[in-house]
Amino acid sequence: MSGGVYGGDEVGALVFDIGSYTVRAGYAGEDCPKADFPTVIGVTLDREDGSAPMETDGEKPKQSGTAYYIDTNQLRVPREQMEVMSPLKNGMSTSLMFEHYNIPAFFLCKTAVLSSFANGRSTGLVLDSGATHTTAIPVHDGYVLQQCIVKSPLAGDFMSMQCRELFQDLSVEIVPPYIIASKDPVREGSPASWKKKEKLPQVTRSWHNYMCNTVIQDFQASVLQVSDSPYDEQVAAQMPTVHYELPNGYNCDFGAERLKIPEGLFDPSNAKGLSGNTMLGVGHVVTTSVGMCDIDIRPGLYGSVIVTGGNTLIQGFTDRLNRELSQKTPPSMRLKLIANNTTVERRFSAWIGGSILASLGTFQQMWISKQEYEEGGKQCVDRKCP
Amino acid sequence: MHFRCTMATGADVRDILELAGAENDTGPISKKDIINSDKKKSKKSTETLTFKRPEGMHREVYALLYSDKKDAPPLLPSDTTQGYRTVKAKLGCKRVRPWKWMPFTNPARKDGAIFHHWRRAAEEGKDYPFARFNKTVQVPVYSEQEYQQHLHDDGWTKAETDHLFDLCKRFDLRFVVIHDRYDHQQYRKRSVEDLKERYYNICGKLAKVRAATGSEPKVYIFDAGHEKRRKEQLERLFNRTPEQVAEEEYLVQELRKIETRKKEREKKAQDLQKLITAADTTTEMRRAERKATKKKLPQKRETEKPAVPETAGIKFPDFKSAGVTLRSQRMKLPSSVGQKKIKAIEQILTEQGVDLNPMPTEEIVQMFNELRSDLVLVYELKQAHANCEYEQQMLQHRYEALLKASGASVPQSEATGLEGQAWPGVEEIKTEAKEQIIDVVGAPLTPNSVRHINTVTFTHAHPLISQSILPLVI
Repeated sequence: MSGGVYGGDEVGALVFDIGSYTVRAGYAGEDCPKADFPTVIGVTLDREDGSAPMETDGEKPKQSGTAYYIDTNQLRVPREQMEVMSPLKNGMSTSLMFEHYNIPAFFLCKTAVLSSFANGRSTGLVLDSGATHTTAIPVHDGYVLQQCIVKSPLAGDFMSMQCRELFQDLSVEIVPPYIIASKDPVREGSPASWKKKEKLPQVTRSWHNYMCNTVIQDFQASVLQVSDSPYDEQVAAQMPTVHYELPNGYNCDFGAERLKIPEGLFDPSNAKGLSGNTMLGVGHVVTTSVGMCDIDIRPGLYGSVIVTGGNTLIQGFTDRLNRELSQKTPPSMRLKLIANNTTVERRFSAWIGGSILASLGTFQQMWISKQEYEEGGKQCVDRKCP
Repeated sequence: MHFRCTMATGADVRDILELAGAENDTGPISKKDIINSDKKKSKKSTETLTFKRPEGMHREVYALLYSDKKDAPPLLPSDTTQGYRTVKAKLGCKRVRPWKWMPFTNPARKDGAIFHHWRRAAEEGKDYPFARFNKTVQVPVYSEQEYQQHLHDDGWTKAETDHLFDLCKRFDLRFVVIHDRYDHQQYRKRSVEDLKERYYNICGKLAKVRAATGSEPKVYIFDAGHEKRRKEQLERLFNRTPEQVAEEEYLVQELRKIETRKKEREKKAQDLQKLITAADTTTEMRRAERKATKKKLPQKRETEKPAVPETAGIKFPDFKSAGVTLRSQRMKLPSSVGQKKIKAIEQILTEQGVDLNPMPTEEIVQMFNELRSDLVLVYELKQAHANCEYEQQMLQHRYEALLKASGASVPQSEATGLEGQAWPGVEEIKTEAKEQIIDVVGAPLTPNSVRHINTVTFTHAHPLISQSILPLVI
């Protein structure tokens, strides 16, 4: 990255993006994070019998005294004078950063703003569909309009839950790979035949669940598809089936269920497990959010709808979204959906935005330095960060 | 880890081996060396002696003799521009410039924090180049007294005004964002227009107060009412249903159709009018000429020659040729006259026993041309007459057909101010014929009613329908 040509200036900053599913971290100025690991903390509890099972939970570390295991081997921090930038939706404790880690400068930025920067826009509607929730966040001129954010809990985890129920209905057992010693090939649809590993350590419930979840997420990523038009039984029956094999050997063709499950994202009235019809589909989320904004900026928002988040990588998501939005917007409105095709860019777009921002020459005046923090306290973070 | 292998250039080798073979200028490379856009090294031209060209000599001739570079003029034109090749950057041609990890301060920062970054060693100590991008919007700051004296307002407390101005400063007058971050719990719920109005009011008042006496400052007036109405209208526009949009489209199209038909009618009427005036004036001119031959010629001719519309009849080209011509050229019909008209002329001439190509004496030529012109005029008038008759017939049939159709159900229509009950179900006709007859082509002309040309339109809600139908039937 040469300075002056692109307006870049390499200061040697670190960028952290802490999501609910994964944490992304790396150096500013690069085009993808060096470290991408799940946001799960493993805590070992010492038991009397000497075994040390892992207990996982998704909370951020706040106590000290127990050993925390996170997979952070990839990121090495050789220099002491490293600035840290982290895109977060809520504020992380800045005191932790400054006092515990002794960094020289710090900056917090909202993920939506960084996603739009990564796509070259300073104004737009960021539709982020990740693991825990789907949100539509309007960004205007680099600032988030907080009162127009719309959130919906229908996202990746909801899909996983539905897949789990599907397997229960099919009375198929989810067996994570760590248990399996060997397996035999079986015919389609017939129960799996596999052998369990001997001498398995005693694992906790939460860890076992976590492993099963990975199996389900793999199924979710490879099999599910969003249909182009609202779900129709006959149309779904004619769709080609996809063959999928679970780690224990059970394999099956999935046809209509492939389309039925993600339909819940767009049309939650039929989805199982939802109480009442109070949930908004993805299309509704977007239009509601834009509808709450000032009317003058609405064309600008519709003209750049940025789709990010791992959950949007489901096959057919963007096409369906495009269709729904063009139906709902007034005909004079120019609708443009921005969705990067590569996996990396969609999942890490907030991180990439942070990398871009931290390496700009004109950004270097916006850091909150240690001195400012000592003078101003936490309020200066609220003031200076958009 | 992977290495990227670059070619070691001669300069690098020499640098490594520390040879002294650096004859070319060893100074820092500039952009020109890398992107050598001009192949020829531009020599600094020495003093150019310009000779004054002698009077009377043409510029081009002089250029041949004396050019700037005193070279011989080129025999073939050559192209000194780049041509079709793209310029390649010649990297690695000079000595490497080292980079250094050095500390710097950013003059745009207030705290003077020291960061580090990579920069070329040569640029150590220079200013931070991005500091000049630190621009902010000028938000006026008022003092306590100024507030008490001038800026006091019932709807706004001082705390609220301060909060507003603080937000304005933070967000560089982005009112949408300011409105979003405004503390609506603590203060009242304000709309974007309210905020803008208060801000611009204060700016205006401060500008007036602070301006030097005598000068009239430019104050930006913000019209909050107008903005509110505009936004409401936009909102309604956005929330239109597709049916409304379709309906509007349909109405616009109908309007356009009506307009085009109206224009056509008017054009037709104008053409007819021209034709008739031409006919009238020519006949009058003839009469005047005949009279004039017996009286004094020049004066009458000048006064009684109105501008004859040349569209009626044939305009014979009056060519002024240099040299010798034959008079019979003047008798030739211009090519703009159509086949039908030529045929018609020939027919009439043969009927009347007139020679198609008479002897071209001066008088005969003139009279013959006039005759043919009149013939064409008569022919055109006949055609127009026939057209109008035909149209009248057609419309009469249509009207009768419609009457019959609606005549079956004759409602007790309220008095619409029309005279006589001879118009049964005019309202019916109106509603039924909404689609078909949106308008009626202008009332046809009869030879008797030359001067009264009425173009009539008849939309389905027009109260004067009777007047339009009246001349139709009569």
